[in-house]
Amino acid sequence: MSEPMRIRATVQGDVADVRILMRHPMETGQRKDAKGEIVPVHFIQNVVVTHNGRTVVDAQWSQAVSRDPFLGLRVKGAKAGDKIAVTWTDNKGDKRTDEATIVAAS
Amino acid sequence: MPVKRRLLLLLAPALLAAGCASFPDRETIRAGGEDAIAHAYPGMPPALVARSSQDASQKLCSKAPEDKLTAEEARQIVESARASIKYPPSGKLVGDWKIGAQLVANGAGQRVRDGRVEKTRENGALCANCHALDAKEVNAGNLGPSLMGYGAKRGTSDAVVKHTYEKIYNAWLYFPCSNMPRLGASGFLTPEQITHLVAYLVDPQSPVNRN
Amino acid sequence: MRARSVALALMLIASPLGAQGDVDGLSIGRQMLAEDNPGELWVQRGERLFYEKRGPRGVSLERCDLGLGPGKLEGAFAQLPRYFSDTNSVQDLESRLLTCMVGLQGFKREEIVANRFGTLDKDSDMEALVSFIASKSNGMKMNVPLAHPKEREVYKIGEYLFYRRSGPLDFSCATCHSDEAKRIRLQDLPNMTDPKQVQTVVSTGWPAYRGTQASVRTMQHRLYDCNWQMRLPDLGYASDMSIALTSYLNHRGNGGVIQLPGVRR
Repeated sequence: MSEPMRIRATVQGDVADVRILMRHPMETGQRKDAKGEIVPVHFIQNVVVTHNGRTVVDAQWSQAVSRDPFLGLRVKGAKAGDKIAVTWTDNKGDKRTDEATIVAAS
Repeated sequence: MPVKRRLLLLLAPALLAAGCASFPDRETIRAGGEDAIAHAYPGMPPALVARSSQDASQKLCSKAPEDKLTAEEARQIVESARASIKYPPSGKLVGDWKIGAQLVANGAGQRVRDGRVEKTRENGALCANCHALDAKEVNAGNLGPSLMGYGAKRGTSDAVVKHTYEKIYNAWLYFPCSNMPRLGASGFLTPEQITHLVAYLVDPQSPVNRN
Repeated sequence: MRARSVALALMLIASPLGAQGDVDGLSIGRQMLAEDNPGELWVQRGERLFYEKRGPRGVSLERCDLGLGPGKLEGAFAQLPRYFSDTNSVQDLESRLLTCMVGLQGFKREEIVANRFGTLDKDSDMEALVSFIASKSNGMKMNVPLAHPKEREVYKIGEYLFYRRSGPLDFSCATCHSDEAKRIRLQDLPNMTDPKQVQTVVSTGWPAYRGTQASVRTMQHRLYDCNWQMRLPDLGYASDMSIALTSYLNHRGNGGVIQLPGVRR
């Protein structure tokens, strides 16, 4: 089971600042393991971010994105209590969705 | 005498008894430290554990800053360093600066992982880790003085060449307890490798003197 | 605010200041990373591992005493290493966690030690637990005691070891860490004889997410890695030597305000 994402979403005015940390090896397919064998590609291909169910980001990633990727974005028309959901899907077909509630910036 | 001072004198024995500000004596600390070293590398091959044993010069050079090296101790270190110097069989102290250039940038050799020494063709000389050498090379350390223009500044006389060779072979000959490793004396570098480093430093064609 | 930091970073990197300018640009980049530190993923995993019933005995670590009483985590990192009467020894955080994982949960010491440093293929539980427990002292000052005679002895042994020259390269810790503004290649070296820098390293340096390692690394790993550089064999995990050095450095870092995990190259 994959490690949960860490999602922080704070709103100031009507703009939410969303920061997402994902745990994923993002293997490029060029690394050799301790035995000298190539570690196969294994990376997040697609990331979808929704705001109260509405898609705000639909990103296609490649293996060029680093291990344990970070995604930051801003969402207009947000308020405290709204739901942010993030789903990543990788090239092996593994998928993970995590949610967070937007809080007012302190 | 002031009240506070009298009070302190009265309380002193009690304070000492409580171990309020006392540390163990030097010998206890030394013995404890060596005991910690003896148990620091469990499961490691004895030949590698032996690396943590100190020779006489290393012991003298392990003082805390406030503990100064005495003149006699410095003399012992220099004498020991002088005795360690070995020259290449050919007697030729200046090798090929192009080989030297590769060696100065090579920071590998003799590192241990899981009880095994890393496999390398040869030991690097590690120079660029600590020294600026080629003015065009930004990626250089500053633990040691800059060696840019080394040969240009000093010339290439026999005296300069010999000094340079000896300094690299055993830096403690000219500066007891130098931070610089005793690269030749420890066997980390061969006399032949050192001749290439000498060339890299003194040859007018070397980037050290051209750039 | 972020756009401005990026512009500043680009300016510094592009400036013809040579090595010094590049080094400043690096620290700005690190600051930007620290705002969203991947180490937080280890903190959250460490929290789960702490409270989960695990090991042959199927218990959590809630009865683990890190010096302030069983399960008391706030401030625990700040006062380690310290003396523990149940083991009659001075212990750092990792050796104390070993004591608890073996003694309370029934894990085999060798298993935990084998997994002490995460690899690209397998995470380390210890690194996650250390990240979590360290973060529970955030905002507090380092406050390592030197009250018990054993704490004093171990501290002094740490100092002795700090200056001890050995190995094929004649290195001691002091060789690289006792002078101002030094660097190996372009890697800055903290001057561990400067109280302010010790405070910074000890309170915000370790544990840290290390980019080159793609994992959180701890003080035990830092000391292990130094031994590797010094051409010494693999430093024993939670060995007396490692605890003595940690004790010496952490106590001298007293007063530093904790903010962990950090982020490093």
